Amino acid sequence: MAMIRTIIVDDEPLARDVLREYLGADEDFEIVAECANGFEAVRAVSEHDPDVLFLDIQMPKLDGFEVLELLDRSPVVVFVTAYDEYALRAFEVHALDYLLKPFSEERFRAVTQRIKTQIQQPRAAVAPLGSALRHKPLQRIVVRGEDGTIQVIAAARVDYVEADDDAIVIATGGTKIRKQQSIGDLSGELDPDRFVRIHRSYLLNIERVDKIELYAKDSRVAILRDGTRLPVSRSGYARLKELL
Amino acid sequence: MTFDRIRVGAYALGAWMAVAILLSLALITRPEVPLGKAVLAAFPPSLLLGVIALAARYPCRAMPLRKTPFSRVLSTHIGTAAAAAGLWVVVWKATPNLITSNLPLIFGVGVVIYDSAVTVHYLTLELEASRIAEDAALRYQVLAREAELKAFKAQVDPHFLFNSLNAVASLCGSRPGDAREMAQLMADFFRLTLRLSSRERITLAEEIDLVSRYLAIEKVRFGARLRTNINIDTAAGEFPVPPLLLQPLVENAVRHGIASVVDGGTIDIAANANDGVLHIRIENPADPDRPQPRGESIGLQNARGRLAAISNGRASLRTEEAEGKYRVEIELPSSC
Repeated sequence: MAMIRTIIVDDEPLARDVLREYLGADEDFEIVAECANGFEAVRAVSEHDPDVLFLDIQMPKLDGFEVLELLDRSPVVVFVTAYDEYALRAFEVHALDYLLKPFSEERFRAVTQRIKTQIQQPRAAVAPLGSALRHKPLQRIVVRGEDGTIQVIAAARVDYVEADDDAIVIATGGTKIRKQQSIGDLSGELDPDRFVRIHRSYLLNIERVDKIELYAKDSRVAILRDGTRLPVSRSGYARLKELL
Repeated sequence: MTFDRIRVGAYALGAWMAVAILLSLALITRPEVPLGKAVLAAFPPSLLLGVIALAARYPCRAMPLRKTPFSRVLSTHIGTAAAAAGLWVVVWKATPNLITSNLPLIFGVGVVIYDSAVTVHYLTLELEASRIAEDAALRYQVLAREAELKAFKAQVDPHFLFNSLNAVASLCGSRPGDAREMAQLMADFFRLTLRLSSRERITLAEEIDLVSRYLAIEKVRFGARLRTNINIDTAAGEFPVPPLLLQPLVENAVRHGIASVVDGGTIDIAANANDGVLHIRIENPADPDRPQPRGESIGLQNARGRLAAISNGRASLRTEEAEGKYRVEIELPSSC
């Protein structure tokens, strides 16, 4: 059997140490990279195409779930965290296992055994890692550029989102960032008390609205604090009125 | 409460009914008095007296002794007593005259009954008021104790414990000596937490000692990502503060601050005392794009609540975030 190519992701050096120590005792595993944050993890996964990812959840910049969302490959994922409240979400993104810190060596061996079984005869599709179901409204939008750069935008800082063919353009503080996603999908993920679909092509952060003006019969325009003018459809106006 | 009042009213009317029955019985012992006449002579005046005695509670309740000028209490009750006794005389005159026709005497009896009722009402009202005050004091005590307990629970974050234990477990494999040291740091920190939290007030220097021990543990976990700079002037160090006031705030600075920044940074803690007011500032780097739940963290809410409770609103806690820095500032007057 070929070596199982493994990447360890944790922002605490000592947490990486114990994983390295345990994995080092099993000759089937090969550690191809160690990462201290989500950015490094996304880069390392596309570079090394690992079989397994040991992934912390609470990390700076990108959390473990956001890392998965940005991956274009689907390694076997084992979450390693001190927080047990993410277990359900971990199950929904098809993680193979969920290690609670601190864990015993015995528990760790059980996990490596499951990894071996999974890799030899893959069972349930481990595929749709990216399409994580979400329990709470999205607080950050992560965008991966064509050059591999990653941007994280806090939802609160988004002014509005504009549909552009099959992609969206996110306007935040004067800059515009393009992301491959449908406006309908994003609209479903963001906080419905804050973001309202004012038009087929526009999703608006209502905290940015300065005023709504009648533009022509049955057609309105939303004027934002920075002077931007966005069209408001009739059904969009009804939704907007409900929130304001 | 209402049910109680109805019951007390029923008892009082019952007692006056008994008076009326006794009076009737006394009257029919005279040979010339038939039963009907005795009842007619005894019941209406007795019942009216009962109603008057009960009704006297209303002016008593409207004019609590401690809050009403004595002259007003006196004039009102003299007026009401006269009116009540007058009404009683009228009813007395309308009933068969079997006992006495000395109307000034009857009037006097009415006044005496009214006055006795007023005395009883004031006594029971006073008892009721003191019971309510006692209840409120007790409820406040329970609330204060609950708040303390919550503050203590919130301060011992289980994830801090799990992550630290994970660090110990990791060190056991590679550097057993450091593992021992980490275990000792944790034991010292938790012991000090228990000891300080049982006291009403500690000095700021003691609180800073606790905070430093906490930070020493986090430094083992975060390594070079966590740096600290603590600056407490001598006068500030002697200032009394409630225990574990700062610890949860410093914990936030690590969890939501340092932990959100790839390269970490420095937690700055500074305190000085000027003109009897303690100023404390805690500053840490924070990623403006970190996930932020709506509203304030429990640690911050608790600190705010405790400061308000001990200072009657004279202490202040302000937070501010700008240019990648998060800052908490506390002002606490010395008399708290």
